[in-house]
Amino acid sequence: MTTHSVEHSDEFRAGRELGLNHVKLGMWLFLASEVMFFGGLISSFLHYKLNNPSLESGLLDVLLVGGNTFVLLTSSYTVVMALAAARTGNTAGLVRNLLLTAVLGAAFLAGQGYEFASLIREGMTPTSSVFGSSFFTLTGFHGLHVLVGLLWALRNLAKALRGGFGEGRALGVEIFGLYWHFVDIVWIVLFTVIYLI
Amino acid sequence: MSQAPQEREHSASSGRLGYGGVFLLLALVTALEVWLGSVGVLRSVRTAFFLVLSLFKAGMVAAYYMHLRTDSRLYAYILVAPAILLFVFSIIAAVP
Repeated sequence: MTTHSVEHSDEFRAGRELGLNHVKLGMWLFLASEVMFFGGLISSFLHYKLNNPSLESGLLDVLLVGGNTFVLLTSSYTVVMALAAARTGNTAGLVRNLLLTAVLGAAFLAGQGYEFASLIREGMTPTSSVFGSSFFTLTGFHGLHVLVGLLWALRNLAKALRGGFGEGRALGVEIFGLYWHFVDIVWIVLFTVIYLI
Repeated sequence: MSQAPQEREHSASSGRLGYGGVFLLLALVTALEVWLGSVGVLRSVRTAFFLVLSLFKAGMVAAYYMHLRTDSRLYAYILVAPAILLFVFSIIAAVP
């Protein structure tokens, strides 16, 4: 290959490559699509909430869900600590924090299940009103995302126990972390939109 | 594949606040939200106040836990562009 063609090749590559990790970039693009997904659901919820005021909104328990919000925030902290541990090759710290993340994710889902059961007992169901329908759709899809994250955390935990992560091999934990933190951010917004305003 | 200069390794503490500091801040703001949500605040400022707190918390998670403070700005643009669209859609949805 001539010098000229090498330079041309470099320039070509420089123009095409962003110099970013493709897996990580792919996750960010996926999260952008998730913003649009939840954006549509939140917009419809707000539309129904504002244009069809329902007494059922008074059934929502801010204290219970506030506790659940705290659980999810704590899980974000354990995920970021898991990543820090993975990057330094601290397998024990990684396993401990991934396990805590899975427990906290399960606790969040249990809290949400309890809330759903309480609301249904009070007569608020997915078919009782437009508010109920939009509420269960929005929070249900978020819960489904937490469930996916929980399964992912358990998969990473199994991999960590086999010594699959370590210094320079933490990308899998980082990608999982991006997803988990995004799910946390969505809940931060939902908590405000549904329960506080 | 080579890593761009922007894709720096994030230190365990991730800035002055540190992960623990960010967590405490988020927990405090959440406690404030729950308290104000329980006792109730003036309707006129309620929506704006809670939205600002929510955006603050979401921003802290994105900046510190998702490392947007130190990572490539492209990631931030990827996340913020649809979020702006979401905001516009929400405003449209809020108009009766």
